[in-house]
Amino acid sequence: MTETISPTSPAQLREAIAWAVADKVPLEIIGQGSKRAYGHDVSASHVLDMSKLTGILFYQPEELVISAHAGTPLAEIAAVLAENNQQFHFEPGDFPSLLGDGVASRSGTLGGLVACNLSGPRRLKVGAARDHVLGFGAISGRGEDFKSGGRVMKNVTGFDLSKLMAGSFGTLAVMHTITLKAMPQPETTRTVIIACDDVSSAGQAMTAAMGSENEVSGAAWVPASLIAGCCKDAAALEIATSAQNCLALRLEGPEQSVSWRADALSRLLGTIGDHAIVPVADSLTLWQAIADVTPFQGRDGILWRISVPPASGAAVVGAIRAPAGLGQLDVMLDWAGGLVWAQCAQCDASMAVHIREIVQKAHGNATLVRAPSNIRREIPAFQPLSPEIMRINQKISENFDPVGILNPGRMIPAHQGEGA
Amino acid sequence: MLKMPEPDSSVLARRKEIIAAMRAIVPASGAVIAEEDALRPYECDGLMAYRQLPMIVVLPGTTGQVAAILKYCHENKIRVVPRGAGTGLSGGALPMADAITISMMKFNRVLDIDWDNRACVVQPGVTNLGITRAVEHRGFYYAPDPSSQIACSIGGNIAENSGGVHSLKYGLTTNNVLGLEMVTIEGDILRLGGKGLDTPGYDLMGIITGSEGLLGIVTEITVRILRKPETARAMLLGFPDNQSGGDCVAKIIANGIIPGGLEMMDAPAIRATEDFVHAGYPLDVESLLLVELDGPAIEVDHLINRVGDIAQTCGAVYSRISESEEERALFWSGRKNAFPAIGRISPDYICMDGTIPRGRLSDVLAGMQVFSQRHGLRVANVFHAGDGNLHPLIMFDANQPGELERAEAFGADILKLCVEVGGCLSGEHGIGIEKRDLMPEMFTEDDLKHQERLKLAFDEDQLLNPGKVFPVLHGCGELKTLHARAVAAKFPDIPRF
Repeated sequence: MTETISPTSPAQLREAIAWAVADKVPLEIIGQGSKRAYGHDVSASHVLDMSKLTGILFYQPEELVISAHAGTPLAEIAAVLAENNQQFHFEPGDFPSLLGDGVASRSGTLGGLVACNLSGPRRLKVGAARDHVLGFGAISGRGEDFKSGGRVMKNVTGFDLSKLMAGSFGTLAVMHTITLKAMPQPETTRTVIIACDDVSSAGQAMTAAMGSENEVSGAAWVPASLIAGCCKDAAALEIATSAQNCLALRLEGPEQSVSWRADALSRLLGTIGDHAIVPVADSLTLWQAIADVTPFQGRDGILWRISVPPASGAAVVGAIRAPAGLGQLDVMLDWAGGLVWAQCAQCDASMAVHIREIVQKAHGNATLVRAPSNIRREIPAFQPLSPEIMRINQKISENFDPVGILNPGRMIPAHQGEGA
Repeated sequence: MLKMPEPDSSVLARRKEIIAAMRAIVPASGAVIAEEDALRPYECDGLMAYRQLPMIVVLPGTTGQVAAILKYCHENKIRVVPRGAGTGLSGGALPMADAITISMMKFNRVLDIDWDNRACVVQPGVTNLGITRAVEHRGFYYAPDPSSQIACSIGGNIAENSGGVHSLKYGLTTNNVLGLEMVTIEGDILRLGGKGLDTPGYDLMGIITGSEGLLGIVTEITVRILRKPETARAMLLGFPDNQSGGDCVAKIIANGIIPGGLEMMDAPAIRATEDFVHAGYPLDVESLLLVELDGPAIEVDHLINRVGDIAQTCGAVYSRISESEEERALFWSGRKNAFPAIGRISPDYICMDGTIPRGRLSDVLAGMQVFSQRHGLRVANVFHAGDGNLHPLIMFDANQPGELERAEAFGADILKLCVEVGGCLSGEHGIGIEKRDLMPEMFTEDDLKHQERLKLAFDEDQLLNPGKVFPVLHGCGELKTLHARAVAAKFPDIPRF
């Protein structure tokens, strides 16, 4: 039977991990468990539950900095930031709903957010969680408490271990305290919606938008049904009924500037198809839905998250669609084409290899986000690493977690190991 | 005096053999430097108080040559000091008597400009400004802009995670790099990241950036280029004291405005720069803010007004807004020439680089005045106010016995104070040798050991840039030993279910 350990302080966390090191007990580390199905299953006799190690330690809006224990619910942090018209700029979506594992009502913890290095549509302009972590404290897989970074914006005092923690899925150390950069919410926002069924034209339009002076902070190609579901604006609704897919281009900033840029962008791209400028309320709803990947939530299909150079996104979609066998393939593009969400009805190991070959040729990588457990056992969740990079990854892991007790197999299952 | 690792006499004894091996790898004429006169220009970097002739300097021209050199060094246990343009201020490229200095300055080409992906692929010896020069004809630029940007190399920027005056809004080097090609000490060539945004595995690109040449040698860099803002305007705001200048910075940000640039200068810095470049700075204020707003003209005009209003409420006694590009450049010329301006009024100066929580600015400036009295040396301050990065310039005369030591002690006092108020030792210049021995002020033994364990994963024999960043290098055995304690009772106090 699985035993759950729930430390309530960094000292208790250290005790727990020191014990696990000494007794060589593998631990599955969870916060609210909201992203437990992301990556591979961890087989561990003990669960290290971080959801009781909570609390905002300090928040100084005028310094743009917030520090909290890793188990603090994101919802709580978001609410506190919003009181001061601030936010995490990297706009993490509601990933749990995507995984459809029954914890959709929980938006996760700060620690989980950073450990998975999540980010949303604004990533293309401001980066991911990794770009906003200022410092952290953690217990490594050696049972030792250590810190890196700090609470200031600029810091080259020693190696930037915050980058190492972001996206390490709890395999090197368990963070107990994290300090992040908060940013002001934009004064207002608008979105230019353009009817566009052809994925290549959509790709070119997003490239043109990003290369313009209009400081686009979100560029996506989405199913028209999403527009219909999120917008009340009459012109937008009309566009949504006339097309299968639409471009959405977001502008943020002071009122005068946003409206000026929305006009400029409409003039630049208006020849592609019918277009409308949707107001702030619709805009906020729409981009939240894009961040949450709403079109693919709560469905059974196999879901891929593909990161490629933005200008290659449309071509990658075309190449993946080409062969028969994948069945119905539903697609959404974010990051001006740099992020492809692709949902297929069926997928086996050979199709996964096919998708990954296409993506690799485009200098990108594909993550299997959601699939039935038999497929998840068969297919690596993350694009396999080159042998040289794999070797460095393993050495880092051996140095931080020499006994292999922290989320073993979460990123790379033992049987898929080297050269997978 | 800083203690550097003892030269390895067995390596020195093999010098001729090593030179021959290097010439075999890099046959180009002049690419292996072994004569004392020709080695002299490499004896220091921008931290000129410390000098040491390298054993040899090698200037490879290809990634393959870098890999062959490092493989040879790894097999023969020879230390390596990577070097870019040599403009670093923390001594990160200080040579060692028994080490090969690898200069990357032959890697000076822009390889690819990918407008559609808004990315530029360059070799590490390209200057920071060189990237902007290569893309500006189509209205693009590379955002990080350290003040040495005309000379410093992008490879060196990676090593030190350089910032500049626009980093609050546009990020540091680490936020603007998309991909790296690097060579490990074992001679493996790694390609990290690329023109896409997310990569699987640990974020090796993130940890290489700012690693001060301790983890590998970068041979190719892909950076993000941005469309130049349509317009930019600068304003000068003068205050009767540092407190109100600092308050104004806090209020601008608390009002949700993130200016492109937000710089502050204290009275000594204002006077020195005004005497030097005649930028029209007011001489009767104690604190001067230089605020730059960029974006569409309509947005910039709007924000200029808002910042002006905020400044009024904070007690500004002087306000001027640039009305032309020439005037904007003039406003900046003072700030950008602050270092040479101090050089004019003092035979020597050292530039510190601590970062503090902005709210503690006036405390820290007051503390500096106390230190100034104690050490009998003058100090002027320029400050990246937006992100809390201080550059105190400590003035001294190296020809006066003991003054360098006093200046260094003064600098150490400032940095200790920065750490005490919640800041850090270096915002953008790096630790190098300069701040190496202060690392324990900020980090515990376990903190430092975990950093060194990362080093171990890349360079177990500790051949890359030894003597830099870490005050004491722990042995490999000590770092690997697991101090697992036997736990008597299984943590009885922790809630379990």
